[in-house]
Amino acid sequence: MRIAILLSAGRHAVSGRPAPVSVELQAIRLARELIRQMAGEVDGNAAGDITGFHAGPDAGPLKDALGHGLPRLIQLSIGAQDDPLPSLAAALGAERFDLVLAGRSGQGGEDAGLLPYALARTLGLPIVADACALAAGPQHGTVSLEQALPRGARRRLTLRLPALVTVHPAAPAPLPFAFAAMRRGMLETREGVPAPRAAGEVEERAYRARPKLIAKSAAGASATERLKAATEAASSGGRLIVDPAPEDAARAILAHLRQIGVLRD
Amino acid sequence: MIPPGPPATPAAFCLSLVILSLAGLALALAARRARLWCVGRGVRVEWVRGLLALPKRYLVDVHHVVGRDPFAARMHALAAGGLLGGSGLALLALIPTLGGARLYWAVIALAFAGALAGGVMVGRRRYPTKPARLSGGRFQILPFLLTAYAAGAMLVAFDAALGGALPALAWPALALAVIGGLGLALQVDRGPMRHAFAGATHLVIHPRPGRFEGERATDLVPLDLDAPRLGVATPSDFAVNRLVGFDACIQCGRCEIACPAFAAGQPLNPKRLIQDLAAAIQPNAANAAYKGSPYPNARAVAGIGGPDLPLIGAGAMIHPDTLWSCTTCRACVEECPMMIEHVDAIIDLRRYQTLELGALPAKASPPLMELRYADEPGGRALAARTDFAAGLTLPLISATGRAEVLLWLGEGAYELRYGRTLRALVTLLHTAGVDFAVLGPEERDCGDLARRLGDEATFQRLAAENIATLARYSFTRILTADPHALHALRNEYRAFGGAYEVIHHTALLDELVAGGRLTVGALHEARVTYHDPCYLGRYNGEIDAPRRLLDRLGLARLEMERAGKRSMCCGGGGGAPVSDIEGERRIPDIRMAQAAATGAGIVAVACPQCSAMLDGVTGERPEVNDIAELVLMAVEAGRAKAARKDVARKDASRPPEPVA
Ligand code: SF4
Ligand code: SF4
Repeated sequence: MRIAILLSAGRHAVSGRPAPVSVELQAIRLARELIRQMAGEVDGNAAGDITGFHAGPDAGPLKDALGHGLPRLIQLSIGAQDDPLPSLAAALGAERFDLVLAGRSGQGGEDAGLLPYALARTLGLPIVADACALAAGPQHGTVSLEQALPRGARRRLTLRLPALVTVHPAAPAPLPFAFAAMRRGMLETREGVPAPRAAGEVEERAYRARPKLIAKSAAGASATERLKAATEAASSGGRLIVDPAPEDAARAILAHLRQIGVLRD
Repeated sequence: MIPPGPPATPAAFCLSLVILSLAGLALALAARRARLWCVGRGVRVEWVRGLLALPKRYLVDVHHVVGRDPFAARMHALAAGGLLGGSGLALLALIPTLGGARLYWAVIALAFAGALAGGVMVGRRRYPTKPARLSGGRFQILPFLLTAYAAGAMLVAFDAALGGALPALAWPALALAVIGGLGLALQVDRGPMRHAFAGATHLVIHPRPGRFEGERATDLVPLDLDAPRLGVATPSDFAVNRLVGFDACIQCGRCEIACPAFAAGQPLNPKRLIQDLAAAIQPNAANAAYKGSPYPNARAVAGIGGPDLPLIGAGAMIHPDTLWSCTTCRACVEECPMMIEHVDAIIDLRRYQTLELGALPAKASPPLMELRYADEPGGRALAARTDFAAGLTLPLISATGRAEVLLWLGEGAYELRYGRTLRALVTLLHTAGVDFAVLGPEERDCGDLARRLGDEATFQRLAAENIATLARYSFTRILTADPHALHALRNEYRAFGGAYEVIHHTALLDELVAGGRLTVGALHEARVTYHDPCYLGRYNGEIDAPRRLLDRLGLARLEMERAGKRSMCCGGGGGAPVSDIEGERRIPDIRMAQAAATGAGIVAVACPQCSAMLDGVTGERPEVNDIAELVLMAVEAGRAKAARKDVARKDASRPPEPVA
């Protein structure tokens, strides 16, 4: 089992200092526990390997990921303005990884959470979002994973490898940091693929939490009703279909998209 | 051939020979044990200085601790003095001129009589019921061996002093002495008698010689972060003099009854810990020989060890929960008559767990992570540290670059409860006209928590960065209300190049009140009891200033049974609140019950941790107030009284107003 983990240049949410991203550290733990479970033994490297990849000008505090249980980190050296996608795609394409893990989004850096999707498309890999648990699958070459859904719901999936999986914050906490493990871990720097992005494409704004929408029905209603509307799980008006036939599911999705005005014929 | 000037009696001569061979046997066993110590890391020790200092260290420092239990002190003086004195003199009796003198044998008989009395006292202490803190097993037969040897030798010497008048008594007595003596000698490497030679060696090569010279040697030894192995994993990672220290333990259990974690039913017993460490130094070690009280609610361990086998782990000698239960309060160190440094050993073991294995309790890991990236264990903004002072003037040192006093706020500043204390302190400083300032957003955590949890790397980084910040400003001293920060800044930063005069707020307030810069009114004899913070009292010896200050406030001060340097921990130190090892009771509840037992209505505290821990106790209990809050109340009471007098004076001097 060969697992690759994507690590991004994050920042601490309060101090703003460079810091590893928690979901990515959680991905390391999931990977280690998966390999340990498959091997049925303690040594994380015996039954497979885990390699971290970062594309950026400098590994910085990502070295700390080595202290959280990552044995090897490869930094693909590119300029600060370069797009990391080509570098990552080249590096991951060159080696055969069974599983690529990424955080569901970074923190403080380029954290749109789109990169895993773009990478999966480039590599031609299936992608599953928001895993919070991983285990060996029923057949060889599969993993079974738990996907975190809103409001604490979980969905169990079986996934044929190779695949790309993003990790949700509901996964188990990162392994505690061990200074000496960081010292021992291997950090390798390779040339990345220069891929300058057109400047000015992205508008930067200070982050502002999105205000909570108050359900329309409650606007102007009594205070109790407004409170109820604000605190009770606001239903987005969807319909829950359990185990539908693919055609029914597609029809239901199209109908919904039409209803909310995303699709127009 | 019997030398000229025949010995007093043949039995006496035989006694001397027996003692000679027993001494040889004891020496051989001791040497065998001492060889095991050599698995430890080599250290530089000042042998000559240590040897010269031995009598003073033993007679003054050890007996200062032993003497807290007068019965034990008398018992030990008689047993040890009699045994060593009698045996030594009897050995010298091999010199013909001495051995032939009846008077000399009378002196020997007297010495052994003392030993006998000591032996009887040892027995009285253990029978009919053995106190829980004392160990059983080999220790329970000790009084019989002692009395047998002492009584036998005494009778032989007595007979010799009488010129051999009682031969029928002398020979059976000699047999008794042989049995007792052999039993004692055989106990030298594993049994109770080990403490004698290991203890003496420990006093000579003690890892903290400063403590015998009145130095407050309580700071931890900095770790070389480039060393191949960080911290202690196996007995062979300990320095030799630490291993000798473990062997010196006499299992008196004084540490056990002082330990707050033990009292709370957490799986820690410092005595058992030291015994496990001592047992582990021999190959194929097991922990089965120990016969004292166990770790409360002990977690199962394999109980196997050896010089190069791990000490910590379910498959080793000591369970990790034992290690993480310690509050680093040093009560055990304070009580230990053998001068063992338990806390240093615990921190060395934690360092390995944290730095090498990352094996620390689940809840202790997030604060360390926040410290790494935000310099604050709660992950809060450094700039928010001064939020408690909203509405007060809090000068920033960056504005002027200098201040007379630099106020170090510490972690407590983020807590609502302790914010009140700091507001009181700041108000008092303004009232007294002290020229002070704070670092504001430039103040990082002092690193105490990281260091106690074994994360020396983070501690050293924080220390270096704080020292660099402090170097940019000029001030005469640092004031803090947090004894943990005080200890780190005053004692532990020194090794990293930061030497500061650090003063605790209780000491400064005492100074200000004494100097008349703060006028206090009496607080009407409110009954108050003072809880000493471990890091102020035991670690830094400051037990008088807070009490003096309380007395100046016109309070009725009551002492708890455990106070001053022998005070009991609130449970807040050493990262124990974040490690959160399960026990039966909570340490602060125990301490609060002790406070309530004095009948006081107020527990005065002087530390943010104590404040948080004791204020977290539920139910009917005394109020918890920091001394700064009490001083502020007294200052306000003084002001109100002055104002009343003023009004009264004005009223008296004012002409009566005409009625309209
Ligand atoms: S460690 Fe010290 S106090 Fe504790 S039992 Fe041993 S000798 Fe006594
Ligand atoms: S330092 Fe305190 S908590 Fe730790 S073992 Fe000693 S007495 Fe117990």
